[in-house]
Amino acid sequence: MSTIREGAAQVPAEKRPGVWTRTRRGRTALLYLLPSFILFGVFVFYPMFRTIYLSFFLTDQRGDAAVFVGLDNYRYLLESAAFLNSAKATILFVLYTVPAGVVIALFLALLANEKLKGIGFFRTVYSSTMGVSVAAASVVWLFMFHPSIGMFNRFLALFDIGQIQWLLDPDWALFSVAISTIWMNTGFSFLILLGGLQNIDEHLYESAKIDGAGYFYQLRRITLPMLSPTLFFIITISLINAFQSFGQIDILTKGGPAQSTNLIVYSIYREAFVNYQFGTASAQAVFLFLCILVVTILQFKFGERKVHYQ
Amino acid sequence: MKKWRFGLLVMAAFVMLVLAACTNSDPDAAPETDADADSQEEGEQQEAAVNEDGKVEIEFWHAMSGGGQESLDAIAEGFNESQDKYVVKPEFQGSYEELLTKLRSIGGTKDAPALMQVFEIGTKYMIDSGYIEPVQKFIDEDGYDLSQLEENILNYYSVDGELYSMPFNSSTPVLLYNKDAFREAGLDPEKAPETFADVIHASSQLKTDEMYGFSMLTYGWFFEELLATQGGLYVNEENGRAGNATEAVFNGPEGLNVFRFLDTMNKEGTFGNFGTNWDDIRAAFSSGKVAMYMDSSAGIANAIESSPFEVGAAYIPHADEVKRHGVIIGGASLWMSKGIADEEQQAAWEFMKYLTTPEIQAKWHLDTGYFAINPDAYEEDIVKEKWAEYPQFQVTVNQLQDTEPSVVTQGALISVFPESRQQIVTALENLYQGADPQQVLDEAVEGTNRAIEIANQTNQ
Amino acid sequence: MTMSLPKKLIFYTLLTISAIVLFFPIVYAFLISFMTGPELMQGKFLPESFHLDNYIKVFDRLPLLNYLLNSFIVSAGVMLGQLAVCSLAAYAFVFIPFKGRDFVFFLFISTMMIPWEATMIPNFFIIQNLNWLNTYQGLTLPFFALAFGTFLLRQHFKTIPKELHEAAQVAGLGPFAFFRRVVLPVSKTSLVTLGAYGFLTTWNMYLWPLLVTTNDSVRTVQIGLKQLQSQEVATDWGVVMAGVIVVIIPTLLLLFLGQKQLQKGLTQGALK
Repeated sequence: MSTIREGAAQVPAEKRPGVWTRTRRGRTALLYLLPSFILFGVFVFYPMFRTIYLSFFLTDQRGDAAVFVGLDNYRYLLESAAFLNSAKATILFVLYTVPAGVVIALFLALLANEKLKGIGFFRTVYSSTMGVSVAAASVVWLFMFHPSIGMFNRFLALFDIGQIQWLLDPDWALFSVAISTIWMNTGFSFLILLGGLQNIDEHLYESAKIDGAGYFYQLRRITLPMLSPTLFFIITISLINAFQSFGQIDILTKGGPAQSTNLIVYSIYREAFVNYQFGTASAQAVFLFLCILVVTILQFKFGERKVHYQ
Repeated sequence: MKKWRFGLLVMAAFVMLVLAACTNSDPDAAPETDADADSQEEGEQQEAAVNEDGKVEIEFWHAMSGGGQESLDAIAEGFNESQDKYVVKPEFQGSYEELLTKLRSIGGTKDAPALMQVFEIGTKYMIDSGYIEPVQKFIDEDGYDLSQLEENILNYYSVDGELYSMPFNSSTPVLLYNKDAFREAGLDPEKAPETFADVIHASSQLKTDEMYGFSMLTYGWFFEELLATQGGLYVNEENGRAGNATEAVFNGPEGLNVFRFLDTMNKEGTFGNFGTNWDDIRAAFSSGKVAMYMDSSAGIANAIESSPFEVGAAYIPHADEVKRHGVIIGGASLWMSKGIADEEQQAAWEFMKYLTTPEIQAKWHLDTGYFAINPDAYEEDIVKEKWAEYPQFQVTVNQLQDTEPSVVTQGALISVFPESRQQIVTALENLYQGADPQQVLDEAVEGTNRAIEIANQTNQ
Repeated sequence: MTMSLPKKLIFYTLLTISAIVLFFPIVYAFLISFMTGPELMQGKFLPESFHLDNYIKVFDRLPLLNYLLNSFIVSAGVMLGQLAVCSLAAYAFVFIPFKGRDFVFFLFISTMMIPWEATMIPNFFIIQNLNWLNTYQGLTLPFFALAFGTFLLRQHFKTIPKELHEAAQVAGLGPFAFFRRVVLPVSKTSLVTLGAYGFLTTWNMYLWPLLVTTNDSVRTVQIGLKQLQSQEVATDWGVVMAGVIVVIIPTLLLLFLGQKQLQKGLTQGALK
């Protein structure tokens, strides 16, 4: 590392005196950022570059690049019905989970933000799903969705409503996985949103009350605008998490039925781990990366504008 | 613009960083591992791992979870106590797929285990990998009598007359049915349907509001079995046993028979789809949601125990116009690493021998429901007792022993089998959604062919 | 601040219904963990008796205590590592206005978009070549740098008044002293939140720990969960659910006990 800093120090310093002082802040910043740089470099960027590299090859039985195929892997993906289906499923999954998840967490946070007796108990319960691992939660939900002995179908049977093949019917499976995912994420979103709500200045409400504003008026005019940085944050995180959901798919459906829950991340896993085709798996990974990138840029471009920082 | 220029600078610095990090610990494993493997192949003598008691210690990678792991741990413990030279340490490595992924990455390096369990469809990959020592070598050196083991199981793992791995957990499919439901529907509970037409007919009679007639786990293995019992090949080159397979052929008349068979019942509404999860379909059967289904022989004991009705077991059905060819063995076998110390290989071999004794096989059979690869185990008293209680076991053993040995019932050898099975699953799922049988089969063949082509292209 | 009675009633009703719905899966798993196989297969809701057989079996089958300890070490390690690495980076982003800051920040954020599954296999090779299979560093180090953590802390550091920074400079406090003595104490809230997040997500990882361990020495408790389910042989669901309960109890407890602290931290944030 020291070489880089010395290099930066000497070369410009000879030509343009004063640069050393002018870049002082940059160098201090670098010092603080160094641990992150090294770790990201080794465990994120290098593997990512390798993934990009592999996406131009077919790999052999050991997973090494064997035959250079240029953009063939990408071309194959874009023509493959299975991959387009995965892309569609991923988008649907994001649409199912993100808005509903955020709204539910917001609803709970608003409820739990009231100063009532025993509210601490409710807060604990609402945040509890954060303490349940994806693996554990998926096992439990797998059981609840069980076609013959699961809780949901027994419940429907009580009311004499037709049974639903939650995880077996391609029309329902993605929806079912989405429900369980929302449940798994609720605890975390709730906690963050509650924290955001508690950060809002009490005085704002008091003056609103004097003006005789109702609950929903306060909600719209004070709570939501003041909460917008937190909301922005939780939406970003939910979006990214949704794109990368893996554990629940692996345990609940393994991508089926009829590929309806074969999200891109799962399809990557299967291509790499089961089929051992790193080339096409890598191409999919690059594609997914680009998707998330675009969404995040859009989110930052349009989202952050509407955010009020205190 | 200025912002971006500095960004580039940071990027450059950062790339240097990465490069620096890489030269230290070259993460590009490939050449290194190659070198390792080569030097080992050239016979550079390895030191055996010896533990503090002076015993040779080897790792045994397996994918047995649940009850299988419990039994396996007990067997290893028994082996370690039975002699004082070797210690075998069983280590769970995740699913068969995950175990194989790890093996692919560290095969031939010092992290590789001496002994490993690989599922049947990984056989071709293991043979080609160059990391393994065929057990035939030890069988010849030791004068081990192979004839004591079940011939129909050995067949699967033998290629060109050489046994590559020691069969271990082995199972076959079997048709299980609800005898009480048969009685209620006016069918003879002692006579299970034998052909596709019989099953279709019985299903329509068994169907009630609560109960489907027939079901099958959405899993490629069952399709392979229904194909094989009609004498159908899965891939060309004699199922890949005469040479490297280049094309899948399972969309012929036999394969179509299977898909039509399922399609007919599905369209009539007598077929219940319970997905890809073993436990789901079993629960459906036990709770009376389906009257007949295909299970693994390893699942019988549990099905009988958890069902509040009488359970019958029968041979899997076959198409009406052909005779029954029999079943292919499923499950996994044990492989030995190459390039490790002789003592370690010896330890692995001794463990294999221990594992195949009738007593141990009897215990394994009873604990898990997998076959005893040594049929003498069926003469053990504990097995006889259990069979008296569960006569259904006898059916599975008979079905295996009635199988006619041929390339069809030996099973196909392709390195991309896991991918092909996935193609079948998709085809079945589409079929259940009402797609055309021939079309979905053709698509599965196409997908498999592409995988085979890539595999052959990259492994020259 | 008092509420009218009907309004209170509405709130309590909503609170209770939500709590029941949300907590149901956990209760359900708890009940199943006491059931025997046949009881389960017949789809009962309440177990016949609360016997502990399944729990005894679970501890008998696996070195669960060992796994729990490993999980704890790994999770705590990642938590501390993340707090250190991320707070340093976030500080640089907020208080040192260097050129190209936005770009570097964007570079950081972009790592959040790289799907972990996509880089898992190259990462496995790295760990293997560093000889870190079956070690704690193999399980923890790759997760120390976290874009999400940096992002979270940056958002919070941003709310620290500029005047405070200026005052510190006037008082002759160096950047690191300012960071250690002012920024960190003021940001307890976010640090606690990030710590909890880091601990829990690490506790919950399941594919990576399985990949980089080949024996039980440093394995974590989620792998235990995987070992309880079988493929071809029937799964003993009662035992699996007992395992689920054992696995989630430490994190739930932590959450229940930490809830007050977490809450306090969050309220403190409001008072600053």
